[in-house]
Amino acid sequence: MSVQASSGGPITATGTGSRNHHGQAIAITVFSTIKWWGRVFLPLLFLVTRRLPRLTRTLRKLSFIHFARWTIVTHPAYNGPPQRNGKLRYPHMYFESNFNGGWEEYIDAFSHILTSGMTAFWGSSYGFPKPLPTALFKAYIQVNETEADHYYSAYPQATSTMIQRALELDAKLAPLKLEAERMEPGAFAVAYRNFLTDVQHCL
Amino acid sequence: MGSSNVTGQAYAFMAMTPVKPAEEAALADYLHRLRDRGPSPLAKLERTHFGRFLIVPDFHNDSSWKQRREEHLDMPYLIFTSNFDGDLDSYLDELCEQLAPEAKEIWGRCVGCPESAKGAALKTYLKRNQIDTGVFFAAYGDATVATVKRRLGQREQMIEFARTSQGLGAEALQQAFLERFGGTS
Repeated sequence: MSVQASSGGPITATGTGSRNHHGQAIAITVFSTIKWWGRVFLPLLFLVTRRLPRLTRTLRKLSFIHFARWTIVTHPAYNGPPQRNGKLRYPHMYFESNFNGGWEEYIDAFSHILTSGMTAFWGSSYGFPKPLPTALFKAYIQVNETEADHYYSAYPQATSTMIQRALELDAKLAPLKLEAERMEPGAFAVAYRNFLTDVQHCL
Repeated sequence: MGSSNVTGQAYAFMAMTPVKPAEEAALADYLHRLRDRGPSPLAKLERTHFGRFLIVPDFHNDSSWKQRREEHLDMPYLIFTSNFDGDLDSYLDELCEQLAPEAKEIWGRCVGCPESAKGAALKTYLKRNQIDTGVFFAAYGDATVATVKRRLGQREQMIEFARTSQGLGAEALQQAFLERFGGTS
C-alpha cells in the first residue's frame, strides 16, 4: 500500500515535483504500510538505533542530508465527527528527509550506502523490493511518495555540506581569532597559513 | 513527550489532522499559493530549520503486494512537520500567535480545530494531534538556525578574505584579519 499523492507540481531537473523544492533544499515524504511483524520489530529497531546510533553514523556519510525522520502512525487522534474513531487496520511508516542534490542520486546513495539499514527499516513494509537493484526501489518510492503542498527551508541557498563545513570552519577559526591580537605579525602569518591549509576543504 | 523527538537541541514535530469534507481542494490551493504571497509564513518562526505541509488524500492499495485487506483513510489528512530549535511548548506558543492569520486558513479547515485557530486553543489542538517520531536524524542537531546562518556568513567572509588577502605582508595580513574577524565569536 502506498499513499495517493495529491496532484503534483511539474517535475524539475532534480527529478521531483516543484513543490518539493525550496532553493537547494528538497523534500521527500514517503508512507509505507507495515506488515504484522513490523508492529513489534520497528519500535525495537527504532529504540536500538537511538541507543546505538550506528545507522545514523552511516547516514552522516550521506553528507547531503540535513534532517530525516521515521515515524510509525497507528492511530490518528480523534477530533470528533465526521472523523472515524479508531486505529488504522495496519501501522504505517512515515519517512521524511530534507536534503540537497537530485532525487535519483539521493535514492541511489541510500540504496548503495545504507543497503542493510534500508532493508531493516523498510523490510517489514508491504511491497518493499529490497534496495538493490535501485530501479525497482525507485519505482517503489515513487508510488509511495506524496509531494509537499508547501515546503520551507530557513537557508534555502545552503547545502548540508556547506553548513557542516561552515560549522567546522568556525571551530577551527575560533582559536586563531582569540590569539591573533597577541601574536607577532610573523608568527600570525605562519599560523594563518597553517589554518588555511587545515580548513581548505571547508571553503 | 518522548525524547525520540529530539536530537541535539533540535526537535522533530509532526501533527496529523483530518481535513473537513469539501475543504481539501481549498486547503491545497491555499498552501500552493503561499509561495506567491512572498516569504513562507514559516519564516516568521525563526527557530524553524525546515517545515512542510502536505495533504494525504487516501492510501493507495496494490494487490500485487499481498496485503490481506485494503485500507482507506476515512478522509484526507493534513500533515505538518517542523524541524526546529529548542522545546516544543515555546515553539507552539510562537506558532499559534505569529501564524494566526495563516492558521485560520490551514488548520481552520480541519476537523476539531477551535474556531479562533490561534493561541492556547490551537496549541492544545496541535499537541493532541502530535505523533511522536521513531528515529530523528539531524546532521547538525546542535546548531540553531541563527548559528547556521551566522556560520554560513562567516564562511563567505573567510572565502572572500582568503582571496583578497593574498600577497599581503605579515603585518598587513594580521591587521586585515583583526579588522575582519577580531573580537567576534
